[in-house]
Amino acid sequence: MDNLDDLKAIWHTAKTDALPSSQEMLQMIKKFRGQKLRNKWLMIALSLSLSIFLVSLLFTGHNKHYTTYIGGLLMALSAMLIAVTNLRSLKRFYQLDNCSNLEFVAFIEQTRQNQVYYYKKTMVVIYSLCLVGWMLFMYESLMKNPLWLVGTYSAFLIYMAVMWFIVRPRSFNKGAQKLKIMQQRLEGISNQLK
Amino acid sequence: MTHFEDLYNRYAPQIFRVCLGYTNDADQAKDLVQETFISVWKNLDGFRNQAQVSTWIFRIATNHCLRAIEVAKRMPAAELPFELAETVEESPEEKLAFLYRCIAELEETERIIISLELEGLPQAQIAEVVGLSSGNIRVKVHRIKDKLAQKFKAYGQFR
Repeated sequence: MDNLDDLKAIWHTAKTDALPSSQEMLQMIKKFRGQKLRNKWLMIALSLSLSIFLVSLLFTGHNKHYTTYIGGLLMALSAMLIAVTNLRSLKRFYQLDNCSNLEFVAFIEQTRQNQVYYYKKTMVVIYSLCLVGWMLFMYESLMKNPLWLVGTYSAFLIYMAVMWFIVRPRSFNKGAQKLKIMQQRLEGISNQLK
Repeated sequence: MTHFEDLYNRYAPQIFRVCLGYTNDADQAKDLVQETFISVWKNLDGFRNQAQVSTWIFRIATNHCLRAIEVAKRMPAAELPFELAETVEESPEEKLAFLYRCIAELEETERIIISLELEGLPQAQIAEVVGLSSGNIRVKVHRIKDKLAQKFKAYGQFR
């Protein structure tokens, strides 16, 4: 059994009749198309809408304080950053339609690095812009009632602290294990392709 | 019949065998065939014959294989048991199952290369799919074939 032709003969005995027909496959595709990237598209649409809404609110409202404008623009900027980050990630996925295994492994490694960069840098900027922006934006409407000002700011700061110190690390740790396995596999596969 | 359906009817069995060679799991292989043809369907309009259509489809399929972490988890960590030689019959199904198990013990890229080779792709095309030179593929196929032959001999199969 050291002849490649013998192995090929065995290989071609595999039954493939359990595969769906082309019509069934088309139905499945129409059902599942875009599902994987749907969350990204949704995030882009939501953040862009939020950004447009905030800017229109600034231009149509009767605000007197500069803090409201600065805060609104900072929040709109953070929403734009989320949209741009997700758009860039989508663009990379759509460029993937014709690459070799070697290029694909490099792509996956780049994606992994991007995820780490997003967690360590981009998210910090987005959170900071959102935090400062919201506090400045709300100042004008809350300043007349100091009790409301302190209460709302405290609640918001607690919410942001929970998101930053508990939710964010937890969600990253979940993904980190997956990333670690992926990194180990990529190193192995890259070595095999040398 | 649409272009997509032609492609599906022509390549789905081949892609299934390659994915089965990589995963050694029929359900997982069917999922990978589905994922492959979802990608083909989505990108068919943008495909401008930069490469042969078969190279393009095999690239998509093998990249999906490489990406599937759950496949790696299911791969056998240890070598095949030696007792197997005494129990295995020589029916075509048994021979095929044994071939898959031997391929499953290979490294990821070796599994892809030998699956494409057994599927009958020219080595130049395998080189385009994997991203290595034809010479490199030729050497690798030779080595993988030796590894498989050793496994077959070691387990006393199909003498």
